[in-house]
Amino acid sequence: MDMLILKKDSLKDFLSALSPDYALWAPVEKDGNTLFQPFVDWQNTLPDLTHQAAIIKQTIFPQTELLFSFDQNDQMQEPESGGAKQNILFGVRPCDARSFSLLDPVFKGDIPDPYYCARRNSAILIGIACTEPFANCFCTSVGGSPCGQEGLDLLCTDLGDRYLVAVLSEKGTELTNKTSSLFLPAPAEDLKQGADLAQHAARSMKRQVDLEGLTEKLSKMFEHPVWKKMTLKCIGCGICTYTCPTCYCFDIQDEPLAKKRGRRVRLWDSCMYKEYTLHASGHNPRPTRVERLKNRMYHKFKFNVDSYGTFGCVGCGRCITLCPVNEDLIDNLVAVKGAA
Amino acid sequence: MSVQKLKDEAARALGRKDVKYLIGYKKGSYGFRVSPAFIEPKEDIDQLIFSPLCNMSLVKYVMMEEALPSLTEQAMKPSKIALVARGCDSRAINLLIEEKGVPRDKLYIIGVSCQGVIDQRKIEARFPQVTESAEVVEDNGKYIITFHGQSHEVPKEELLADLCTVCQYPTPLIYDKLIGDKVAPRKPCYDEIKAFEALPVEERLAFWQQQFSKCVRCYACRNVCPLCYSTICSLDSLNPQWLRRSVDPSENFMFQIIRTFHLAGRCIGCGECERVCPMNLPLMKLNRKLEKDAKELFDYESGKDPKSKPLLTTFRPEDPQGFIL
Repeated sequence: MDMLILKKDSLKDFLSALSPDYALWAPVEKDGNTLFQPFVDWQNTLPDLTHQAAIIKQTIFPQTELLFSFDQNDQMQEPESGGAKQNILFGVRPCDARSFSLLDPVFKGDIPDPYYCARRNSAILIGIACTEPFANCFCTSVGGSPCGQEGLDLLCTDLGDRYLVAVLSEKGTELTNKTSSLFLPAPAEDLKQGADLAQHAARSMKRQVDLEGLTEKLSKMFEHPVWKKMTLKCIGCGICTYTCPTCYCFDIQDEPLAKKRGRRVRLWDSCMYKEYTLHASGHNPRPTRVERLKNRMYHKFKFNVDSYGTFGCVGCGRCITLCPVNEDLIDNLVAVKGAA
Repeated sequence: MSVQKLKDEAARALGRKDVKYLIGYKKGSYGFRVSPAFIEPKEDIDQLIFSPLCNMSLVKYVMMEEALPSLTEQAMKPSKIALVARGCDSRAINLLIEEKGVPRDKLYIIGVSCQGVIDQRKIEARFPQVTESAEVVEDNGKYIITFHGQSHEVPKEELLADLCTVCQYPTPLIYDKLIGDKVAPRKPCYDEIKAFEALPVEERLAFWQQQFSKCVRCYACRNVCPLCYSTICSLDSLNPQWLRRSVDPSENFMFQIIRTFHLAGRCIGCGECERVCPMNLPLMKLNRKLEKDAKELFDYESGKDPKSKPLLTTFRPEDPQGFIL
């Protein structure tokens, strides 16, 4: 693994050197919130690397995906694949990079999903290490690390006026080779500083929860009163599921367009919505918020373990930070662990 | 306002035979968040708080209660919910009673005079990434904010929620018990709405298109609104499907226009929709425009009196009609 140094002054040159060949995405702050967006204005703005972007998964798994459009004469039209520039995601947090690894078995499993695979296989992930974890980060509790490398092609660690860049894959090597004039080999003291920062970051993770034995416990708790108690304050909105990097539920809808045309689209769905499990008969097997919140917890911490062998959670803390009513996943996990 | 008094009143309310539980505020799990507290009789009332951080409305929880399956069960259980309500919340309650959304006798209202609450975004921008649950008290035009063993003083106006700076009804209008003295109303001000109205229509359209293109349709604004309580919401309806599920600027526009218009003459200005939005949409700009119109055209403010009638259910021959095409 190569370790290189990129001066912060050269970041703009690095991004601009890549921009003709790649479609660049980065966290950008606008109107007081930071979103992962196509990064076009690289001449005038720099990516916002101080906040947590509200959502990341739309870069590979868009909220609304046009599958095809059609008209009344059975003429079907597939969307153009749009020039197929490779996506570079710059400023990806280690937990978010891991989240794509958790989505992979879902979309790249027995029946590969062509839409996801096309974006995922070509995407290049340039990470930024979390040397100062955010208030609700708990990646270390679910098997991650604030400076983890899983799923990344490059990982940048902020050393003040420069980045220590770990080259982690062939794709990463290709990028740094293309822009080799901007990189220097990392001296030993920078390597040590990077390692120290990683250690400091793991230690300064303020929120933690011990999940040992949780999955086994959940298998005996389906009817437990704890679920009702923790659901009382939930308002049933979709914030936790939409901002969650590992929530992947979707719906498929046919929609009318003007001029007797229509389209079939795939959309994010949310298990917090009443409509999510509503049967055509009118029956709803998850009639109240209690069953819905319980299902989300079970999916993340039991069903995902049963199906894919890992928790369906990377500990990014977004569902906690963005929940408007302080429905706190860590508190809820603690409540489940402590329930008699 | 004394928190001890609040606890005493809460204990008294929970001691009543007809109260099944109380909804109030408790410390949140981190930083500057508070959490709703649902307390049943004999449960710990010491967890109750009231502080400038109590910036969420609890009224919606009354409307979200799932009814017990049978009428016999409903009749056997105590029927009232005790609720801690600030000035704006009391207006929501008034309107709900007016609209027959909730019967008055279902509520036991503990009104609290409100000196205004802190805007979550402002305080988190000032003190980012605070994990420990902070304490905030108001003292003489300042907030004293304590966390990690350190106290910080910040002038009140720097952190006060924008809506609280123009609050007309800081003292609850309807209650069974009132805690705290009457608080003087602030001056109404629609300057920012007037300035926006003065912009050319293309500019306003472009502004909202840009804003609504960010909407992810999590429906938090609808779900948190104390006045959005339809059992079947047009946004959820599948047959007919009034609103396409595609998340694009056009459908998002439609969604937000439906939501806003449903609040015409009804919005009581608590600002919950804007507070909860994960995409920071300035939703109160729309709601306050409607509020201003209701005031100017009909001399009407919603939720002032539970015995009055909602604006859109009344007609007076002298009502202005110039906007009818």
